[in-house]
Amino acid sequence: MKRSTRRRLTQGVLYAVFAAVVLFVLLAADWATIRAYFFDLDVAIAVFPEIVTIAAKNTVVYTAIAFVGGLLLGLLLALMKLSPVLPYRWFATGYIELFRGLPALLVIFGFAYAIPIAFQWRPPGGNAGAGLIALIIVSSAYIAETIRAGIEAVPQGQVEAARSLGMNGAWTMITVTLPQAFRIITPPLTNELVILIKDTSLLFIAGMAIGDRELTTFARDSLTNQANATPLVVAALLYLVITLPLTQLVAKLERHNKRGR
Amino acid sequence: MLSKKSALLAAMAAGALALSACGGGSDDAGSGEATGLNLVSEGSLTVCSDIPYPPFEYEENGEYTGFDMDLMKEIAAGMDLELSVQDVGFDGLQSGAVLGARQCDIGASAVTITEERKANLTFSDPYYDSLQSILVPTDSDIASIDDLAGKQVGVQQGTTGATYAAENAPEAELVQYPSDAEMYAAIQAGNVDALLQDLPVNIGHTEDGAFTIAEELPTDEQYGFIMAKTGSEELVAAVNEQLATLRENGTYQEIYDTYFEE
Repeated sequence: MKRSTRRRLTQGVLYAVFAAVVLFVLLAADWATIRAYFFDLDVAIAVFPEIVTIAAKNTVVYTAIAFVGGLLLGLLLALMKLSPVLPYRWFATGYIELFRGLPALLVIFGFAYAIPIAFQWRPPGGNAGAGLIALIIVSSAYIAETIRAGIEAVPQGQVEAARSLGMNGAWTMITVTLPQAFRIITPPLTNELVILIKDTSLLFIAGMAIGDRELTTFARDSLTNQANATPLVVAALLYLVITLPLTQLVAKLERHNKRGR
Repeated sequence: MLSKKSALLAAMAAGALALSACGGGSDDAGSGEATGLNLVSEGSLTVCSDIPYPPFEYEENGEYTGFDMDLMKEIAAGMDLELSVQDVGFDGLQSGAVLGARQCDIGASAVTITEERKANLTFSDPYYDSLQSILVPTDSDIASIDDLAGKQVGVQQGTTGATYAAENAPEAELVQYPSDAEMYAAIQAGNVDALLQDLPVNIGHTEDGAFTIAEELPTDEQYGFIMAKTGSEELVAAVNEQLATLRENGTYQEIYDTYFEE
């Protein structure tokens, strides 16, 4: 048998297996039942306008707040961790280890309940505010490590060149090191953002007022009113509508960055 | 060489798939015919419940207990079945998904009988008349549902209590929590001014004296056990028969008094 014939045969078999698996899934699934519980079009239509204008909007807003907050705090922590001043370094290391090690759900719970009970003080913005502070704190721990890695990945020669031109340390960091570091860490930061989009669904543990509900909470609520799981499917699709263009955008940005170098 | 081997493997996999597809089909049709009850697992009554929700279902000494669980124990015993309890989320219960997925035969989780839920579920005869209630701190000036206007009121997401609050206290600012555990923490933290939920659950929070029931709210709600929309006719009949027997022989009252009469 010729080598090309054999390769074609192998490929043919692999296609056949793929088709068989797809066929098996299509035939084996109980579509009538699945449709009744998860794909009820009337239910989807009933929840649709509000799930976009309230829930998807809140998810986006919460993510934006948590990401921007996490980015600023994370940058500060990364610089502290690289600082020659020891107490700063200790603090940043301890903070990062602590909040990277704790599940976000528990941190949110702590800010929403434990802190008000302990100090008789409620974080601003009500329950959603408390949850968002917790999310900012958790995401900043991850982002700090990403930024630190990015800063350390910038070749030492860049700093040396900048210093030899007479730039001081801070100016070098702002104009030379950080721009290059952020270029390097665009992909892991995108990951962080996508994870954060999904983590906003944990805010439910803090308690949600009607207008504050994000996608998951809203969908679970609609599930109640409709006594049908279709709203969960609609929410799942909306998460994809939010994340897919975002990842495409970042991929584009990355290509642009590569050309720029 | 390698490609020949992988081609063979692929062919075998396809064959195995085809075989398993046939096997799956015939298996399904055969199960449950022995008893006519179409049970998920032969010889046992598999119960799904969203635990904890005291006093209806909670864990004590490594065992699930509570009003619903005790009733289920008696019902299973009366049907000569083993009882097997699975802890699931309330969403899966009330959407009917856990029953449709054949994860369990019956749901016992303080589920109020409503018209909407009947679209996806079959209910047993009612087994409990439910009252809603308002829980407030002892020093609160909230005395009735009319005082809730402008106050933050904790409700459990997806429950009839949440619906009741939305309909009967439209001026209140409702805050939804996933379960009673968060709601109780929220009123302790001062995040909400009151909790509106099922009376027995709120009564449980009055024991240490910091909270009190401001008002009991009569509703015409009743709890039912839930079963699959289709194919559960015989099971529903059997469960209803057991419920009737328990009411007649006094066992129901005994269990009721254990949890609701102090």
